[in-house]
Amino acid sequence: MTDYFEVLDRDGAARIGELRLAEPVTTPARVDDVLVDSGSLWNADREVPDGDEGSLTILPHRSLPAGSREDVQDAFGTEHSDTEFPTAAVVASDTPTPQGADAYILSDAAGFVGHGEGFKDAIISAKDALPADTALVLSGVATPRNVALLAYAGVDGFDAKLAKVKGSQGKYLTSDNEAFLDDLDELPCSCPACQQPRDEFDREDCIEHNVAALEAELRRVRERVRAGRLRDYIEGQARHDNWLTAAFREFDDQYSYLEARTPVFRTSEISAATSDTIRRVEIQRFAERVTSRYRNRFDNPLVLVPCSARKPYSDSQSHGQFHDAIGYRGHTVSMTSPIGIVPPELELTYPAQHYDSVVTGRWSEDEKQFVASVLRQYLRRNEYPRVVAHVPDHGYRDIVERVEADSDLDFEYTVEGHPTNTDSLANLAGALEGELKFSKRERQHNTIKAIADYQFGEDAGDALFGDIEIQTTGRYPKLQVRNDDGDQLATMVPQYGLLAMTLAGGDRWVASDAPTKTVDIEGFVPHGSVLAPGVVDASDDIRPGDEVVIQGSAAFAVGRAEMSGPEMVDSTRGVASTVRHVRER
Amino acid sequence: MSKPSPEVYEEDRGMDAHNSVMREIRGLKEKHYDPHEPTRVWLDEDNTPGGVYDSLTIILNTGGCRWARAGGCTMCGYVAESVEGGSVAHDALMDQIQACLDHEANNADEPADLIKIYTSGSFLDEREVGAETRQAIAETFSDRERIVVESLPDFVDHEKITDFTDHGLAVDIAVGLETATDRVRHDCVNKYFDFADFEAACETAQDAGAGIKAYLLMKPPFLSEREARDDMVDSVRRCAAVDGCHTVSMNPCNVQQYTMVNELFRAGGYRPPWLWSVADVLERTADVDAIVVSDPVGHGSDRGPHNCGECDDRVQKAIKDFDLRQDPSVFEQVNCDCERTWELVIEEETSYAMPLTR
Repeated sequence: MTDYFEVLDRDGAARIGELRLAEPVTTPARVDDVLVDSGSLWNADREVPDGDEGSLTILPHRSLPAGSREDVQDAFGTEHSDTEFPTAAVVASDTPTPQGADAYILSDAAGFVGHGEGFKDAIISAKDALPADTALVLSGVATPRNVALLAYAGVDGFDAKLAKVKGSQGKYLTSDNEAFLDDLDELPCSCPACQQPRDEFDREDCIEHNVAALEAELRRVRERVRAGRLRDYIEGQARHDNWLTAAFREFDDQYSYLEARTPVFRTSEISAATSDTIRRVEIQRFAERVTSRYRNRFDNPLVLVPCSARKPYSDSQSHGQFHDAIGYRGHTVSMTSPIGIVPPELELTYPAQHYDSVVTGRWSEDEKQFVASVLRQYLRRNEYPRVVAHVPDHGYRDIVERVEADSDLDFEYTVEGHPTNTDSLANLAGALEGELKFSKRERQHNTIKAIADYQFGEDAGDALFGDIEIQTTGRYPKLQVRNDDGDQLATMVPQYGLLAMTLAGGDRWVASDAPTKTVDIEGFVPHGSVLAPGVVDASDDIRPGDEVVIQGSAAFAVGRAEMSGPEMVDSTRGVASTVRHVRER
Repeated sequence: MSKPSPEVYEEDRGMDAHNSVMREIRGLKEKHYDPHEPTRVWLDEDNTPGGVYDSLTIILNTGGCRWARAGGCTMCGYVAESVEGGSVAHDALMDQIQACLDHEANNADEPADLIKIYTSGSFLDEREVGAETRQAIAETFSDRERIVVESLPDFVDHEKITDFTDHGLAVDIAVGLETATDRVRHDCVNKYFDFADFEAACETAQDAGAGIKAYLLMKPPFLSEREARDDMVDSVRRCAAVDGCHTVSMNPCNVQQYTMVNELFRAGGYRPPWLWSVADVLERTADVDAIVVSDPVGHGSDRGPHNCGECDDRVQKAIKDFDLRQDPSVFEQVNCDCERTWELVIEEETSYAMPLTR
């Protein structure tokens, strides 16, 4: 049971936690000041000490260093049971056994930190075996350069041991480098230790600087996690040491580890500035849902248009001009890197209005392949009478032509030069000559259903809102969904383009064929939030930010998940879900 | 309140695990050796209770340690230097002795007064070296003053010792005690006997007119630099306090092929001790009533005891000086920037955060 650690906020695998000691520590952080070692069992028999609330007591341990074979790990593994005070247990990454501690220290960190694949294997193995609501600590490995990546992977606690030792060796550490002090003409830092002439700065100062640099980097990491923007930082900063880049790519290949921990929406921006952005969970998940859950409900021709820098696209000048030419006679789908393609119903849906690409007009082969493959799958799944490709040369047209080659559909190209010049727009309007306009009602209904498909699963839009007369009220993008009695079922949230349910909506969801994400709770009536210890069971596929139905013998509620389903079940601390509306029963 | 699992159970399981892993690791070795050649032979200078002697050191190839065949010590790769079939006949062993005498004749001005015979096992174990061979070797070296033979404490018997003392040789038995702490010897080194067995061997040797030279191992696997250093300081003191143990040879662990230590080292989980730690132990125990020496093997290399690469030779030289003079002031004359790093390692390294440097 975790009593003295609580996860307060998450950004993918990274999290903001609190070590609930007499003086609380907000993680990711250095924990050397609060760790109290009760010693190794290799050289003496030791009793578990009394411990106290002011520190994290490391239980007596037989640390197994990197390279220990499994036989030896099994034979010498130490087990402890629950204690009444804050504790940390030492375990090896490949055979960690939970022992009721609040934190776990991996004894083989020195072996795997520095190797992308080994690091990924160790962290995933440890995280799989240890309770989600306990802190993971790596001792003797953190530097200002690697600590962001370590936190990104899900590590909560660090220390300055290595930074100090490196300082004593004249190695000057920054978030981008490990330099030999003797090679530096200037000190690229303004910490107190660096406020002196270069030639007076010695190795003792270097130790002080390294510790300060590590602490500053940890502050940066915590701020990034709070802002939901650690990944954007990692994609750039990890370039400063190749193993760090290798490590986050290794994690990108472990999609399920990151996906389970990545929120379904954020309100912060995604910076698409590197070739790795395309592999982010948010991007892959959007493409996956658009090509496997979303379904086009319009009968009109498909009009492919280039994306705009301004989001949502419909607010941009270029899309305003496209709209004027199309006039609701075509289904305007935007092509974009790195998202793939965005149907207009999902233009507000995270991350479609949250990403910002570096636009130079140069497309990499990776980007072209990705967008082409998304478009190809999209056309396989959705029926259109024909395709009007209002896309400029270079990347866009190249992609469409690749897809056209595999398609039976008739493709018509309408851009001459620039998509917004008079001729192009006239061609676009001309191509849609004679096509019927769809109505505002159709547009609004289809938007709600499309979001429901995207959010809840294939065909969920029809299952939830198909067989009854529903009304949408309010003005786009603040659509409200009501049944024919006028009861509100859901609201579309403009900030991230997903639906928020009412109790009536929750009832419908449970009764419908759409897969329901459910949190089963004990017999209490939750107000404001459901805490993890009250959770009896939760759907496996719940992700942070997901809409959930909460039910127990005393209450029925709707709310938004704060952690994944497995984490809710696994945790004994923390907010599992917020509660929007609750009904006693 | 939590409690570690029962000790006895742990130790037996631990020994089984260590043995099984070590057998597997040793199984990787394919090389075999000529039973008519010694493993190694060299000339040196040694400090003994009888003063400093020129010495002839022989590593006899006897087919190796019986314990190692069961698995054996986590750091010991010498068993890998054993011969095929496991045992060496009397004639072959005597050929090895002759080869050593030839080496001495070719390289030394006169015969050494001190003979040291190691077997990477137990010279006094008759399954390694039979009574006939032992007596013939005693005869061969009867013109020397002093002989050191290596043995585990179990094999230290009155009669075996008198085979040598009868020729007027001063006899020392070198016992690979490794540490005075039973727990470390059992669980980190995987050696089966207890300190009490060592004390008993000292008594037997003393009764038979021989002395004991205790061999200690600095920094077995699983211990941090500080734990290793402290264990040595304590072990030197405890050995020196045992009657009959007149010399303590404290030797830093080096990384030998086909050992558990090697696997840990290669995976980044082990670093041999600092030479500063060796010097520190010698300095801290300079007051004990025994000769305390150290002979770091492979100093300055990644696989041997080392400091920063700049000062290794100087510190090694000071240690060798200390061996002969037993004067701790020799260490005042060596300094290096890396001493501060070593201090930090002593302060900061723990068994769950090691090694902090390579």
